[in-house]
Amino acid sequence: MSSRAKSCAIVGFGVTQQGRQLGIPERELRREALERALADAGLRRADIDGYIACHGGVAFEDLRYLGLGPLFSWSLASGGATAISALIVARGVLALGQARHVALCYGFAPSLFRSGEGLGGYGYGYPELYGMVGPATSHALHAQRHMHLYGTTSEQLGAVAVTQRAYAVTRPGTLGYGKPITLDDHQRSRMICEPLRLLDCCRDTDGGVCVIVTTAERARDLRSRPVRVLGTGTGHNIRNWYDKSVYAHHDDIAPAKTRAFGEAGLELDAVDVAALYDPFTISVIMQLEEYGFCAAGEGGPFVAAGETGPGGRIPTNTGGGQLSGYYATGFTAMVEAILQLRGDAGATQVEGAEIALVSGHGGNGGVQNTWAHATALLVASL
Amino acid sequence: MTARIRAPLDFAPDDLDRPFWEACRRHEFLLQRSRATGRFYWPAVCDPESGREGMEWVRASGRGVVHTFSIIHQPFRRDLAQRVPYNIVVVELEEGPFFHANVVDCPNEAVHIGMPVEVVFDDVTDEVTLPRFRPQRR
Repeated sequence: MSSRAKSCAIVGFGVTQQGRQLGIPERELRREALERALADAGLRRADIDGYIACHGGVAFEDLRYLGLGPLFSWSLASGGATAISALIVARGVLALGQARHVALCYGFAPSLFRSGEGLGGYGYGYPELYGMVGPATSHALHAQRHMHLYGTTSEQLGAVAVTQRAYAVTRPGTLGYGKPITLDDHQRSRMICEPLRLLDCCRDTDGGVCVIVTTAERARDLRSRPVRVLGTGTGHNIRNWYDKSVYAHHDDIAPAKTRAFGEAGLELDAVDVAALYDPFTISVIMQLEEYGFCAAGEGGPFVAAGETGPGGRIPTNTGGGQLSGYYATGFTAMVEAILQLRGDAGATQVEGAEIALVSGHGGNGGVQNTWAHATALLVASL
Repeated sequence: MTARIRAPLDFAPDDLDRPFWEACRRHEFLLQRSRATGRFYWPAVCDPESGREGMEWVRASGRGVVHTFSIIHQPFRRDLAQRVPYNIVVVELEEGPFFHANVVDCPNEAVHIGMPVEVVFDDVTDEVTLPRFRPQRR
């Protein structure tokens, strides 16, 4: 298959209000996101001939509510790796000519089903028997090991939170908008699971996102500003569970990164802006290391030195990320990359940003940290 | 997503792991081993090398070292509110696999990476015995 045939582009995206306790049903969040994405792309409902539900629910149930009549309606659930995973599926579908415009649709309202039981996770093995519930502890186990191996400090974790909050402060619609925090605030925030404090953790939010993908060829005819997909890749942590390197890495990033950069024909230094999946501060530090922005163990000092902030070596999570922006299960990062590459990131726009790195990981709560990792490289032109 | 497990009252182990949990009731600590490679696994798997028939359950030492840990302060489930703060450890067993559990007979402040531990069986109910770990005494 020629690279031209494989080439596809994001031609529309829609983001609903994102926040706590919105009181909007999930399918309505998806409908609103779809409306916005269609308007952004200059497409009609009837143009959408492929639908991928990215919320883990039953995809075909959405169609009548959304007013769609696609050739397929699939559900894809890979936690925080879902957005990029769905993008990879869409690439295949488009390359094979199975559809012309694929909508990736996400809408989630955890506030509507909150019962005090917590979100739980993907239970692989028996950690929950011992009181290990949800993703925070999984990431705490990583952070503790990272501190032991490299001397990473709580203050360095805090630097991630403070840096990203500073981005969010100027970004309307985020949880952190107009609410700066200091390192002292981080250090004074209560302990959740050592070494992670409250401000090391993101909060789940309600919201919807829709992304419309088509071929690069078709994208030329549309009025929207396309963002082309240069490369993608995936990895799975069960391999690292088997060989016991699961705590030496954050996820199985190596194969995902290698495939994505290989396909794109790029080196890391080509990346202008990074949008890394960040449920917890340690995730940013370890991904910066795994992707090679700094050496293993240097992620803490790297962030503390301001290298992920404005004007740093790799501005990262420039809308606040999940930590200070909103939690759209992997779409947060993808949306920020699109905004940056279109030049629409407002006060935190990275000057001349052309190439963005996006990551996602998902599937917490069992013996693994997370199961899936996915990487995407996006470029600002066709 | 597998069925939720909320110890110990509605404990329902995966069938693959049933021999392990039955042995725990006898206060025996088993691990699953691949006949093909000699590698040990936990939880049980279909061996990536030789398939399910290539696996056997064998007695294991029940000893290991703490690979990483966390002290939990936030009750992530209502029934855990009485338990916080408590520890979660990942034990690197002598035979190789990691095992998630709690360390007992040891204050939370003393739990550390590299700490040698050994299994101790906690008969939580008549039906359920949980292996936990304590600082090694031998």
